[in-house]
Amino acid sequence: MTESHPSRDEAPRAAPALAVRGTGPGEVTIGGLTAGGCALLLFVNEDCPTSAMAMRRLGPLCRAWQEAGLTASAVFEDPLEVAVRVARRLGWAGGVVSEDPPYETSRAYQLVSVPTAVLVDQAGTIAGSVTGWDHQALAALIGQAAALLGAELAIPEATEPLLKPGCSSKAAIDPELAAAMSAPAGTDDIEEMFERGWTDGLPVVPPTPERVEAMLGAAGGSASLGPVPPATGEATLERVAACAVLAGCRPAYFPVVVAAARAALDPAFNLHGQAVTTQPAGQLVVVNGPVREAIGLNSGMGALGPGFRPNLTIGRALRLLVTLTGGGTPGKLDRSTQGQMGKIGFCIAEDEEVSPWEPLHVERGFQPGQSVVTVIGSDAPLSISDHRSRTPEDLAWVLGWAAASAWSTNWWPLEEPSVFVICPEHAEMFRAAGWTKQRLRQFMFEEVRRPAGELRRGETTPAVHAADPAARVPKWASPEAIVLVVAGGEAGRYSAVLGPCTGMGSQIVSREVEPRVG
Amino acid sequence: MSVDYVSPFDERVRAAEPLAPRPAGISGRTAVLLDIRKNRGAEFLDRMEMLLRAEGATTVRAAKEIFSKPAALGLIDEIAGRADLVVEALAD
Repeated sequence: MTESHPSRDEAPRAAPALAVRGTGPGEVTIGGLTAGGCALLLFVNEDCPTSAMAMRRLGPLCRAWQEAGLTASAVFEDPLEVAVRVARRLGWAGGVVSEDPPYETSRAYQLVSVPTAVLVDQAGTIAGSVTGWDHQALAALIGQAAALLGAELAIPEATEPLLKPGCSSKAAIDPELAAAMSAPAGTDDIEEMFERGWTDGLPVVPPTPERVEAMLGAAGGSASLGPVPPATGEATLERVAACAVLAGCRPAYFPVVVAAARAALDPAFNLHGQAVTTQPAGQLVVVNGPVREAIGLNSGMGALGPGFRPNLTIGRALRLLVTLTGGGTPGKLDRSTQGQMGKIGFCIAEDEEVSPWEPLHVERGFQPGQSVVTVIGSDAPLSISDHRSRTPEDLAWVLGWAAASAWSTNWWPLEEPSVFVICPEHAEMFRAAGWTKQRLRQFMFEEVRRPAGELRRGETTPAVHAADPAARVPKWASPEAIVLVVAGGEAGRYSAVLGPCTGMGSQIVSREVEPRVG
Repeated sequence: MSVDYVSPFDERVRAAEPLAPRPAGISGRTAVLLDIRKNRGAEFLDRMEMLLRAEGATTVRAAKEIFSKPAALGLIDEIAGRADLVVEALAD
């Protein structure tokens, strides 16, 4: 940092004209700034911490200086909107002006670094300047202004650091490089994620090494969960963690993300087919067990909707693993004709405490105290309103027939699972009547049937064509193709059904959530 | 400002497999007709088989387990070991 005052034998130098934009309508000139006395130009830029410090320390003095005849202006080597935002954030009470590349004003003032404070007297000559933060030199410069004005001017408090070097002026950098540095995309890490293609179309959290380390916790990053279809990118734990960071997960969710990934990568799930199909196949993630409460998964009001970080980010992390690590990019290897919002991510938790039945993971052979993730290839949910049924038979009939068009109107029977998410009020009706899950499944299986002859139109199945026209064909090939979970708010009689991903041979797969990953 | 990020991608560069040499003719060749098990794919292969035989080719039928999964490595090896030509049917 240097302090420079014109020596007695040095000719006073006229302050160069300003090529800047201000916040007001009029042109900003040296004459205008010195009309009331002297002007203090503080050259700064957004990226420089010393500039920020100078503005924070000098800013609160500006109003009193103005009243005494010293007009202070911050001259930003940044766009005006950036300048205004930064000045406001730093408590700068003086004027704000902005210069664009190639920073003609900074060049005219022969700037090497910022901050640089330049004192201009009423005659428009440069009375002195200070480069960097130098408390003593700045106090002297302000004292010089006070002498010129014949007034008292406050100086900043002498707090550490008293000396701090500045940063390079953008005028001292190659103009093209300076322009690139000031481009918004180059300094915005969220935009950079879009430019890299590390996104599902929504903003993501940039996976810095620190964030990925935090996500991994004690686990090493090199262990692999296996190749991710369709392009068989290797799912190292580090990449899974990167996807979890991108999705917005907290580290506490990571064991659930890993369990979901392990389940989805099981060949029995046939993620390959789901990832590339023209169907709208999503990967529904159902979480059971104590981990639900531990990480705050919502199984209550709005269980299938927005508002809860673990639900939204865990499902999204799995989908990002498929689209980024696995290469299942929509419109490229992912050939889904229309897609569906569940392909962004779809994670739900079962409300085991409200359910009258054994939870999904217990049905699938786990203990109630185990935390388990189950993945199911699924279509989007269809909401089913029933506020009028007064018997379990009527309610089961309404719920079952709502799924009659799952996959396609006349595609009977479905081999693959349909998932019914039963709301608490509907579940209560079955509980009060003593209906087990198996009874509900069996009822739907027996009741939702149509004569084969009525199904022979448009897309239908070989089984329909093979059957006697009067034979009643069931919607599902077996009661086991009906999956029941309980979730939703305590008020309102809305359940939902998610149709299947068909023709894939995709099985439901469950994996225990292991507290220690890797 | 340059920041390093942890990539979610598998950055390994995989070399593209070169195409096998194209045979000059069909007569005397063995053609494997691979049914991926999409609806009506077999009908297309029946027709192809008839045309290939008429041109003097020997035909062999093969099928994937299911259309939505990659062909098993054993099946690929078997086809590669005996085929001069492969016709794969996509249908619906």
